[in-house]
Amino acid sequence: MFLWDWLTGVLGYLGVWRPRLRCAFLGLGGAGKTSLMALLAGEGWLKPTPLYQCSSEELSIGQIKFTTFDLGGHHQARRVWKDYFPAVDAIVFLIDAADRGRFAESKAELDSLLTDDQLSNVPIVILGNKIDVPGAASEDELRQYFGLFGQTTGKHKIPRNELPGRPLELFMCSVLKRQGYGEGFRWIANYIN
Amino acid sequence: MNERVQRVDRGVSSYVELKSNGGVCRPSGLLTQLSMYGYQQQGGHQFQQSAAGPQYQPPAGAPQQYGYQPQQQPQQQQQQQQYGQQYQQDQYGGQQQYGQQYQQDQYGGQQQQQQQQQQQQQQQQQQQSSYQEFIEAQENKEGVRFSWNVWPSNRIEATRMVVPVAATYTPLKKRDDLPPICYEPLKCTQMQCGAILNPLCQVDFRAKIWVCCFCFQRNPFPSSYASISEQSQPAELFSTFSTIEYTLMRQQNLPPIFLFVMDTCVDEEELGALRESITMSLSLMPATALVGLITFGRHVHVHVLAKEVMRKQYVFPGAKDQTAKTVQEYLGVGLRTTAQAQQMPGQAAPAPQPGQMNNRFLQPVQECEITLQDILADLRRDPWPVMTGKRSLRASGAALSIAIGLLEACYPNTGARILTFLGGACSYGPGMVVDDDLRKPIRSHHDIEKDNCQYMKKAIKFYEGLAKRVSDNGHIVDLYACALDQVGLHEMKYCANFTGGHMVLGDSFNSSLFRSTFQRVFARDEKNNLEMAFNATLEVKTSRELKIAGALGPCVSAHEKGPNVAEMEIGIGNTTKWKLCGLTPNTTMSIFFEVANQQGSDVPGGRGHVQFITRYQHSSGQTRIRVTTVARNWADAQTGQHSIALGFDQEAAAVLMARLAVHRSETDQDGTDVLRWVDRMLIRLCQKFGEFTPNDPNSYRFQDNFTMYPQFMFHLRRSQFLQVFNNSPDETSFYRCMLNRESVSECLTMIQPVLYSYSFSGLEAVMLDTSSIQPDRILLLDTFFLVLIFLGETMAAWKKQGYQEQEEYASFKELLQVPVDDAQDIIANRFPIPRYVETEQGGSQARFLLSKVNPSQTHNNAMYGGSAIPDPNSTDGGAPVLTDDVSLQVFMEHLKKLAVTTNA
Repeated sequence: MFLWDWLTGVLGYLGVWRPRLRCAFLGLGGAGKTSLMALLAGEGWLKPTPLYQCSSEELSIGQIKFTTFDLGGHHQARRVWKDYFPAVDAIVFLIDAADRGRFAESKAELDSLLTDDQLSNVPIVILGNKIDVPGAASEDELRQYFGLFGQTTGKHKIPRNELPGRPLELFMCSVLKRQGYGEGFRWIANYIN
Repeated sequence: MNERVQRVDRGVSSYVELKSNGGVCRPSGLLTQLSMYGYQQQGGHQFQQSAAGPQYQPPAGAPQQYGYQPQQQPQQQQQQQQYGQQYQQDQYGGQQQYGQQYQQDQYGGQQQQQQQQQQQQQQQQQQQSSYQEFIEAQENKEGVRFSWNVWPSNRIEATRMVVPVAATYTPLKKRDDLPPICYEPLKCTQMQCGAILNPLCQVDFRAKIWVCCFCFQRNPFPSSYASISEQSQPAELFSTFSTIEYTLMRQQNLPPIFLFVMDTCVDEEELGALRESITMSLSLMPATALVGLITFGRHVHVHVLAKEVMRKQYVFPGAKDQTAKTVQEYLGVGLRTTAQAQQMPGQAAPAPQPGQMNNRFLQPVQECEITLQDILADLRRDPWPVMTGKRSLRASGAALSIAIGLLEACYPNTGARILTFLGGACSYGPGMVVDDDLRKPIRSHHDIEKDNCQYMKKAIKFYEGLAKRVSDNGHIVDLYACALDQVGLHEMKYCANFTGGHMVLGDSFNSSLFRSTFQRVFARDEKNNLEMAFNATLEVKTSRELKIAGALGPCVSAHEKGPNVAEMEIGIGNTTKWKLCGLTPNTTMSIFFEVANQQGSDVPGGRGHVQFITRYQHSSGQTRIRVTTVARNWADAQTGQHSIALGFDQEAAAVLMARLAVHRSETDQDGTDVLRWVDRMLIRLCQKFGEFTPNDPNSYRFQDNFTMYPQFMFHLRRSQFLQVFNNSPDETSFYRCMLNRESVSECLTMIQPVLYSYSFSGLEAVMLDTSSIQPDRILLLDTFFLVLIFLGETMAAWKKQGYQEQEEYASFKELLQVPVDDAQDIIANRFPIPRYVETEQGGSQARFLLSKVNPSQTHNNAMYGGSAIPDPNSTDGGAPVLTDDVSLQVFMEHLKKLAVTTNA
């Protein structure tokens, strides 16, 4: 195991072999999942139609290759999320920070993710999107509402074995202005096995 | 809300669009309405004029008009000539007028130039509107639209016109006025021709001979036509019946067959809903119809429906692909017929006799309804255990194969429908598209591009093979997929596309979308017959100068080669006959032609003919043949350029090109290439038919009947037909399947959705543009697949405050209700039922609208003061869309630039 880690590390450093991270984009409908994916995939800014079925893309950020699953956010589509849990190494959960009316619904979904058995060791990054909208909730407000104080594991690179539980962290971003999400992805990249 | 209004609206918006030089032009409501009326009035006026004008004569059909005296031969000839002329004027009167007007244009050179230009414009507009009338009349009468209504007389010129000479044809176009004709059609006796007698044929009543208008063979009338004369002509010679339907009485009447293939790997709720829908459909079938039931999970169960002592079912393992022979042996059905079928493969097997028809698995619905309902009521979910992290094992492929084998054995070449209900992807046995491990998700567009799909190719081969077998038997496969994830339509689409079966994509069997869609499958016409046709073939005959390059639509080739098969193949070619199997009144085929004439040789007769012969089994069991014969003028390539251009039908052309583009992307598997092809074709068309001074983009001007075409192409490029991002392969397959079979006007709605605005100033059709999104408007968007109602900001706020409940604001309540009613009207007439969404400014579902409108105002130019597109009109409202997409204005500017560049 040690040898393997060392080998992949060296290869990754040389840029020959890159780890592939399979990650799911989840969140309520309209939170910005597809927009974020379009942006990362180099499609530019699209105005996506709401998704009815899962769509999948491959992208690479820095050293890491991502296979992303963009799952629809409307109510029925959320039932299909659990079918994808065995297939993912990480989860990106998006919250529309400007839509306070749906925080409760969003929190319920996040809580069900956090309590799911299949995901107990999967790192989750929460992105508070749309901070460019005037009046959007601040990071503290989100932490407060979603009960994340004391739950998150810190934005710095902390080795996995020193963490008490799964890696979990909140980052604020604006997909529209292309800010903030890079940090989140770099952070999650630290926790790929 | 009718087609015509839509058409007019499109015309107006594009007209306004293109007149504006680059910048965004936003017609005020008044302008749109005025020009709408102007347009309509003009058309009506023109029509009346021609109706009252000296050239027009009432259609033939009343034999009394002919003062025929059989003793005098010269008079007879005269009469006959008159007949011919009259017919020509009747149908093509419009064109002759154009020709005259055009000549006036050309020779009126001594007049002052300005006057001439004005006159020319006026005349062009007049010509245009009456060409519109002509195209519309042809579509209503024959169900035919040509991309070019005047054909270039030689091959080189035809290839230079970019858009091929092609036709859209709706074989079962609803016609209430068709007479019941209960005899066999009269065929041309020339061996390779076989065309059917029609009003365009010359008839010598005295010698009792008719001349085939395709091969010019002189055919004697058979004895049954002995009493034919000018006074008593058979219906097929009346010019009003250039589309006619024969009912063959000698053929045996067979009831339709419905075989349900049901997925049981779904949860209880879904299974219950499915059970209800199937039970409901039994009451909608004719009582004599035969039904059968196959259910599947890990195993495939074939249920015995005959009244026997015990209920029985035959179980097949799902892992194995059963050949038709093993299915027959196990089930003990139809052995004799198969032996014959093997001797004469393909279509040769004779239809079975009624006595031996009923077997234990397929029973008349009136006899087995109670048994079937009991079986359905006792049906449980597939009992095979599913571990966590695994998918349920679903042998859809094997089940479909067994269903096809059962029908192949018992009822080859009889109208039958296999209704397949899928609650998930096939994960077991032949045709599996994904395995049962949830860690491996189903393929995406990306995987397909990278050739990274383990099962796809094999599955496609399997389903394609099945589809060929089904279409050989003349049966139909419907796919009703209701699941939250993909079910593998991308692989299974061949079954529906080759046989004209329905493809329905929904979330849940419990949704009203599925329920009402499925109910509509069994819709009846006014004579109480099911609106579906079985086992259909379409044959096309052409004049010698015109060859058949191929067809696109829900069909397969029937491999009938003839002398008029073109060298070049477009779509499904190398044949003059196609097998359609399933037909609905909306099914629209596209047929592509090639002009075969070499340069220099004359075209005899001045007109080219096309005949469409559709043979099908009517839902009442009768065999019917519908014959449509149409003719168009040839024009000389050099001198007739103008009239060729005038005969361009941009709507039909846009649909035909869209189908071609989709066909290319299906066969080439490369999306970007297709976009480039669309662009190239558009630029070449603009170069050929625009008016401009070289290298001056501002001088570019379209002819009036080309103005909307670039706009259609712009929307086609952005549409889900060519852009796969954000769509799953299943969704793409579904959208493309619908584009390939719907009528021209419905296809146009798919390509360029229609947007209506409701406000206190009335209803108007508005441009599909961000500027149409205004706070005081309610918008209705129709994309064919989706009908959306969007409340502007003010409207939404008023509604939220509950003004519609107060009596003094009754008009507001009414305003809210009108678009809802109109949306219901749209939904009521469509198959499959579109999704229906109500939303408001800023709502999550509003993205449906925002993704469709032309992004003339985006965050780049409106909100953040970017300077990509200077837009003086954006200050007065409209909602900017957050996108990097190119707007129509930019697209048009680039197009003009490229078109006028000499070396492009």
